[in-house]
Amino acid sequence: MPKAWVVVYSITDFITVGMLLTVVAMNSLKRMESFIRAYTVNSLLLAALMAVSAFYLDAAHLYIAAAVTLASKGVAIPLLLKKVVRELKITHEVEPNINTPLALVISSVLVVIVYSSLSKGIFIEGFTENTLKVSISIILISLFIMITRKKAVTQVIGLLLMENGLFLAGFSLTYGMSTIIELGVVFDVLMGAIILGVFLSQIKKTFIDLDLDKLTTLKG
Amino acid sequence: MLLPLILIPLAAALVCLLIDNRRVYEYATVLSCAAISAVALFIAWSALSGGMTTQPGGAIYADALSAFMIVVITLLSLATSVYSVEYMGSELEHGHIDKKAHRYYYVLYNLFILTMLLVPIADNLAVMWMAVEGTTLVSALLVGLYRKRSSVEAAWKYIILCTVGITFALLGTFIFYYASSGASGGGRGALEWTALLAMAPRLNPATVRLGFILVVVGYGTKAGLAPVHNWLPDAHSEAPTPISALLSGILLNCAFYGILRFAVIARASLGHPFVRDMMFLFGISSVVVASIFMLIQRNAKRLLAYSSIEHMGIIALSFGVGGPFGFYAALLHILNHAIGKPLMFFVTGRIKGRYDTVESEQVAGVMKTMPLVGAVGFVGIMALAGAPPFGMFISEFLMLKALAAGSHWVVMGVFLAAGGMVFYGLLRSFGGMFLGAPMSPAPVGQSMPAHSTASARIPLPVGADVNRRLSARRFRGLLSGIVMFIMAGALLVLGLYIPGPMDRLITLSAGIIGR
Repeated sequence: MPKAWVVVYSITDFITVGMLLTVVAMNSLKRMESFIRAYTVNSLLLAALMAVSAFYLDAAHLYIAAAVTLASKGVAIPLLLKKVVRELKITHEVEPNINTPLALVISSVLVVIVYSSLSKGIFIEGFTENTLKVSISIILISLFIMITRKKAVTQVIGLLLMENGLFLAGFSLTYGMSTIIELGVVFDVLMGAIILGVFLSQIKKTFIDLDLDKLTTLKG
Repeated sequence: MLLPLILIPLAAALVCLLIDNRRVYEYATVLSCAAISAVALFIAWSALSGGMTTQPGGAIYADALSAFMIVVITLLSLATSVYSVEYMGSELEHGHIDKKAHRYYYVLYNLFILTMLLVPIADNLAVMWMAVEGTTLVSALLVGLYRKRSSVEAAWKYIILCTVGITFALLGTFIFYYASSGASGGGRGALEWTALLAMAPRLNPATVRLGFILVVVGYGTKAGLAPVHNWLPDAHSEAPTPISALLSGILLNCAFYGILRFAVIARASLGHPFVRDMMFLFGISSVVVASIFMLIQRNAKRLLAYSSIEHMGIIALSFGVGGPFGFYAALLHILNHAIGKPLMFFVTGRIKGRYDTVESEQVAGVMKTMPLVGAVGFVGIMALAGAPPFGMFISEFLMLKALAAGSHWVVMGVFLAAGGMVFYGLLRSFGGMFLGAPMSPAPVGQSMPAHSTASARIPLPVGADVNRRLSARRFRGLLSGIVMFIMAGALLVLGLYIPGPMDRLITLSAGIIGR
């Protein structure tokens, strides 16, 4: 194995594990600001991973993908989230439904399950093997965060994190799709974030509070 | 010929956005839907003569299956646009929505049609995913149009659950791409459906299995298959009635179409039994869950929403059992459901206009107060319940025949038991609304006391203006009434015999999904 590839392996692993850690750490975060900051760091790491791979694979379209990810997920969406949080005066405390240690344990168990089960299901080799496992773990932990948090904003962030995991999975499986598809998916995510922002303010108007416990008129 | 399907609704949406004149944007929407219907019939005609419609530059194409979906989408969007003019017009006149929301409705309506049309013509499976996600985003705004507590809640639930679900579908799509890149010797993979199908036998089965499970869960969420259906009853009951009709009648089919396309590849790679078992699992759970919940529903729109889950389950079962009858039955059922369900939503919309409620216990005697609506509604309910001589009886009968031929007795037994419960649930609820003595219904056209404050904001028409407005309202009502009659007639015709061209189109499409 050439020396350069060892470097690539360690860099990509370093970045992907960083992404996993930010998601796991979110289980213990209580302030809305730090919650958004963790999402931003996660997105920046994703963009960095794409840029590094673009450099080593010498693929121009990955540079574009990295730039688009940086602009949308790293800058635009965090700004939008901060604006929504500021305008709606969302209280900073994000009280989870279950306590922090338990949430951290469950997240780690999810990672273990992914690592032990995925080696049987899908055969993937190369420097992205670890990346795929990390990305599936991120998707599952984000779902877990969405289930355990009560605030509507946290659900949106959970959803966006899940999409980061999805992008990571897509990247590890395809080394970046064609640029058109990359752009299209990012466009959908961006529109989704904007529309969710619109609904957040409507929930605030109609329900006074952004607690999802109140969204229980419709049953059965 | 495919580009007009995208350009016409886009142009109509722009017209609605830019020209603030009610007549103009209403006409633009109806005309746009009529134009795309004509284009759709042309595409279907060329599909019948064995051709595939392609667009220079690739990326979009239409075979017989796409043509079938396009015809269903465009014709139903035309019917719904005519009904929208009546229904949303009276919502505006009663002050349930303001002028801005009324125009906004038509902008989103055209975009909604556009995104739905993009689903069947996308060759690239990732583009198809984008289109399906686009339908969620646009229709979520339509579901939340009334900005009431309940509608905002329904829209929120809808967008979150469907986006999470569909994320898994994209992951599944990526995994299919990975499988294809492995099959082509580690080179670049393919996401074009045609290319994937060509290399299907060489794909790694374990990878395809994982991808297909994710795709079925993902698109199944959007298609309303139990147990991932939770968003559906809320969104369908809270949306404006014409949108409920589109969500139920077409959007669910668009999502199911996604499953169909992937299933063709999965069958070529894994063989039929795996696909069949997946479809049976989701189909049976949908039919059972829906039949149970239909017994306890008090709200007619929610009842119809659960009925949609049941019918999606039936489509999944028909497709799962396969064989010449099964595939044909699945597509025929898509067509029947796309006519029958919107028709019943239109009927409940009329009932709401008269009684100001769709709670089945507060409505009685529709047959006496509105004989024509009652008669059309009766046809619709019998059709949805699967009674002869209407279209759904034929498709369900074909499915039972295919189940019997494959000796799937357990599936058949469960379906028949659930079907009985559905029949009872539908007839009890709607029978009570249609029959019986009317409970002092409010006269037509008089706004309800609850909205008197809202309607006071609208300047009251005077003199000749009253007549003009009344006749315009009557004209709109007449048009949508004619549409409802045509739909009821179509249900009856499809139960007696299937017109030649439609039969051939369905046969060709069944050949594609049964490949």
